[in-house]
Amino acid sequence: MWAARFDEGYVLGDITPASAATLKGVPMLLESADVRVRQRLLPETCDDPEDEQQWRQHAVPELERLFASRAHLVRTDLAGLRPMPKSQNQLLLIPFAHGNAWLAALNAARLALFVLNELTAESMEPDAFATVTPKQQEALLRIHLLAEVQSVLLGDLELESAGPFADFVIE
Amino acid sequence: MGARAATKEKPATRTTPKTSLARPWNVLVHDDPVTLMQYVTKVLIQVFGYAQDKAHRLMMEVHKTGRSVVWTGPREQAETYVQKLQAHHLLATIEVVDG
Repeated sequence: MWAARFDEGYVLGDITPASAATLKGVPMLLESADVRVRQRLLPETCDDPEDEQQWRQHAVPELERLFASRAHLVRTDLAGLRPMPKSQNQLLLIPFAHGNAWLAALNAARLALFVLNELTAESMEPDAFATVTPKQQEALLRIHLLAEVQSVLLGDLELESAGPFADFVIE
Repeated sequence: MGARAATKEKPATRTTPKTSLARPWNVLVHDDPVTLMQYVTKVLIQVFGYAQDKAHRLMMEVHKTGRSVVWTGPREQAETYVQKLQAHHLLATIEVVDG
C-alpha cells in the first residue's frame, strides 16, 4: 500500500483485498456491541457510583451518537473504494475534512481488535509476534496496518504530493 | 461541497449531569498499549489547545508513569473535557482533587 496527498485529501493506493477487508471492518468495530469493546470505548469514568450512573445516563448516549456518526462517515468513504487498473488492488480517497473522524475511528478499531483478541501490552512488542496464537497474529497485523493509515493521516510519513492524482475527484 | 458538509462529523452537545462544586477536579489520561503516542499528542492539542511542547510532555508522562493529570478545574468543564477525550478513545477519567 502506498499513500499520497492531493488537493482535497489523502489517497491510499495498492490496497490489497486483505487490507481492504481490514479497512471495511473499521466501522463495524466502532459500533460493536461486544461488551469488551464497549467497556474500552465507553470506560468507567467516575469513582463514585452515583456519578458514574449520571455519566452513563447523560454522557454515554452522546458518545454513542458520535461514534455512529463517525462510522457512517467512514463507511461512506469506504463505499468509494475503486479498483486499480490491471490489479485486484484498490484505491481509497480520504478527504481532509474527514481526517479527524478517520483517525478516531481507526483508533477505536485498533482498540477493539486488541480487546477482542485478548492481546496484552507484551504481545504488542515486535519480538512477541512469534509467541502469540495465529488468530492473535492476524489481529496484530490488522492493528499495525490501521496504525500505518493513522500515521499517514497524522502526517508522520513523508508523502508525495499530488500531481498524478489530480484526476481523482472526490464526489 | 454541500454533499461533503452533510457527511461531516457531528460535534457532540453536552447535557451537564450535575451542577459544579467548589472543589476542583482533575482530568486524567491513562496509558494504553495501543493508542499511538503521536495521536495522544494531537488529541491533547485539539481538545485543550495546548502547545505542542506541553502536549508532548503530558503524553510522555502518560507513557512513562501510566497516567497524567492533563487538566484541573471546575467539575462541569472537567466532564466536558473527559467526554471530548473519550470521543477520541483516550482512556480518560475524572477525580476530585484531594484536600
